[in-house]
Amino acid sequence: MGNAIENLKQAVIDGDADAVSKFSAEALESGAAPLDILEKGISEGAKTVGEQFENMEIFLTELMLSGEAMMAGLDVVLPHIQAGDVPRKGKVVVGTVRGDIHEIGKNIFKSLLVANGFEVSDLGVDVPTSKFIEEAEKTNADIIAVSALMTSTLGGQKDVIDYLEQSGNRDKFIVMVGGGPTNQEWADEIRADGFAETAPEAVRVATQLIEKRRD
Amino acid sequence: MIPIIEIAKRALDGKPLIEKEYDMRVFSPRVRELVKEYGISYDPEVLVPSDDGLADAVFKAAFDLICDVGVYCKDTERIIAFEEKEVRNELKTSYDHAVLGEGMEQRALLPRKPDSKEKPWIFAGAGGVTVSDESIFMRLVENYAKRIPIANAITTPCLLSVDGATIRARSPLEIEGSIRTVVLGREALRRAGRPGLPIMNAIGTAESAIALASGLHPDFGLRKTDGYMIAELAELKTDLDLLNRAALLQSLNVPIAGIYGPIYGGFAGGAEGTAVTSAAFHIQGILTYGASWTLCFPIHIKYTSSSSPELIWLASLYAQAVSRNTKVPALYYNYTAAGPCTEMVLQEFASEFIAAISSGASIETGGVAKGKYFDYLSPIEPMFAAEVAYASAGVKRADANEIVKQIVPKFIDKVPDPPRGKRFQDSCDPVTGEPSKECFEIYDKVKKEVTDLGIEFLY
Repeated sequence: MGNAIENLKQAVIDGDADAVSKFSAEALESGAAPLDILEKGISEGAKTVGEQFENMEIFLTELMLSGEAMMAGLDVVLPHIQAGDVPRKGKVVVGTVRGDIHEIGKNIFKSLLVANGFEVSDLGVDVPTSKFIEEAEKTNADIIAVSALMTSTLGGQKDVIDYLEQSGNRDKFIVMVGGGPTNQEWADEIRADGFAETAPEAVRVATQLIEKRRD
Repeated sequence: MIPIIEIAKRALDGKPLIEKEYDMRVFSPRVRELVKEYGISYDPEVLVPSDDGLADAVFKAAFDLICDVGVYCKDTERIIAFEEKEVRNELKTSYDHAVLGEGMEQRALLPRKPDSKEKPWIFAGAGGVTVSDESIFMRLVENYAKRIPIANAITTPCLLSVDGATIRARSPLEIEGSIRTVVLGREALRRAGRPGLPIMNAIGTAESAIALASGLHPDFGLRKTDGYMIAELAELKTDLDLLNRAALLQSLNVPIAGIYGPIYGGFAGGAEGTAVTSAAFHIQGILTYGASWTLCFPIHIKYTSSSSPELIWLASLYAQAVSRNTKVPALYYNYTAAGPCTEMVLQEFASEFIAAISSGASIETGGVAKGKYFDYLSPIEPMFAAEVAYASAGVKRADANEIVKQIVPKFIDKVPDPPRGKRFQDSCDPVTGEPSKECFEIYDKVKKEVTDLGIEFLY
């Protein structure tokens, strides 16, 4: 059983989705507790990958392949876990604002969120303001994370907050902003709840903001 | 040159593929294979390699890469493919210069070679960083032209707003901002007594093709001898909006640059793969846009700057690879971690530009403080950057390596948390744009440091 979970962890680190599915199933068959498989196998592997990326020991492709592998494992294990038993950190809606097609930073953030146990809805790029809100409502998200990479599209981040304020829903969601030209001053100016320079830092901020809200 | 209609046909009819599949299962693994196949390896002890064989290996890998994976069109989700023979022929028949500027300022932008004494093309200015106010825009451009006599071309700042309204992409504000950028830039150069200088980032404020087209009307002052840039997207991608620009600019018969920011740590992997990708981007610009010059600005995925040792190495090797194997002039542009009026920003410029110039590139003075903050600009940084680049012509790669290795330790520990420096309003006279005494003292100090290491400044 221990071996199966170790193999599973390594398969997540290797970004091998097929092996992750196989070892997840084997661990279940061998009688391992689904929560142990999730926490000691999949999550531990994902944590290692996140650390390796932050230390620049691996790069974006490896990070994203591990994210895919982790999702493959969750598909096998989650049906065996009762709703409410899964220690998910939170739900995040991510996307790049309308008029902006840059997505690499957003994709890194997404992969690291998954690696750190968040549920993520990725809306992609060039996302209309209302779509962020609609998806957050639909998934009962904790955080709306809005990316922009151009000075002329930064206003799209403010639009999300304005939209929430006007509709009386501002307190329902934590709003984080990020991307090349964003900074703390801008985040303060548009009344965002969180900002980070880098994707790993953004994951830490997301974690802290959710913990603060739950306290 | 491959006609843009032919490129458009391939973008519309090429092999369909989901973008994520292209990134992770086509582009990324092929880069990794080619790095291995050609034995390309980063050596942290050598920041400016002198190995011609290594430079040529990077070029061969880049050539193979673009033949094998093509260029991805994001809008149509298809591959724009190229035959090996076609790529070879296009490189043989490409442009080998671009004529820029008017009257007394007219010059030819020519390709350079590694270790060459040929003076580089000096493209100096704001590096596209944004300013909050039109008067700051004017003071900066005037001072760039006045204080950098060796500048061959100017890059203007971008405008944040028009009449107090923040510019938004795809809105009339973007159109008006694009037109103003041109009008103000031309007027600032006239006031500086250099009306013939080309504006090479025409039109900095224009993000969309329609804004570019709007600013191009002759009433606003742009000329056929200004520089026109079209972005290539990370990694080896384009889209229909960018191809639309190529269609417009090729019809106007103006010099086009392919510009690209390969990401160290991204889908290209580490320093080796990013060097190969940078060289492949150079070829992409020639093939897809008919580029007569290109501009490379590698970015660190974590720090979003370019002065880390791995990036200096890959930029040097990229410049050597394309300058040894193509005729199209290659420029290097950087993102410093530190901001204006700091020693670190000048040390970053010195190390990156000594490496790039000795490796065969010309330069555009880069975006300071990562190009991230409004108004974090002064004339001092492009002035110093231009002078150090000009002075580095003729420095052999081996000597450049020794010099750069002595400069990098002065700032490397500060890259993760760099000093932001000072805004224009806090470091320059608002009426004249004259930098403060403090800025000049820092400039003198770092210039002496670099002189003591063996770089002989013209003045």
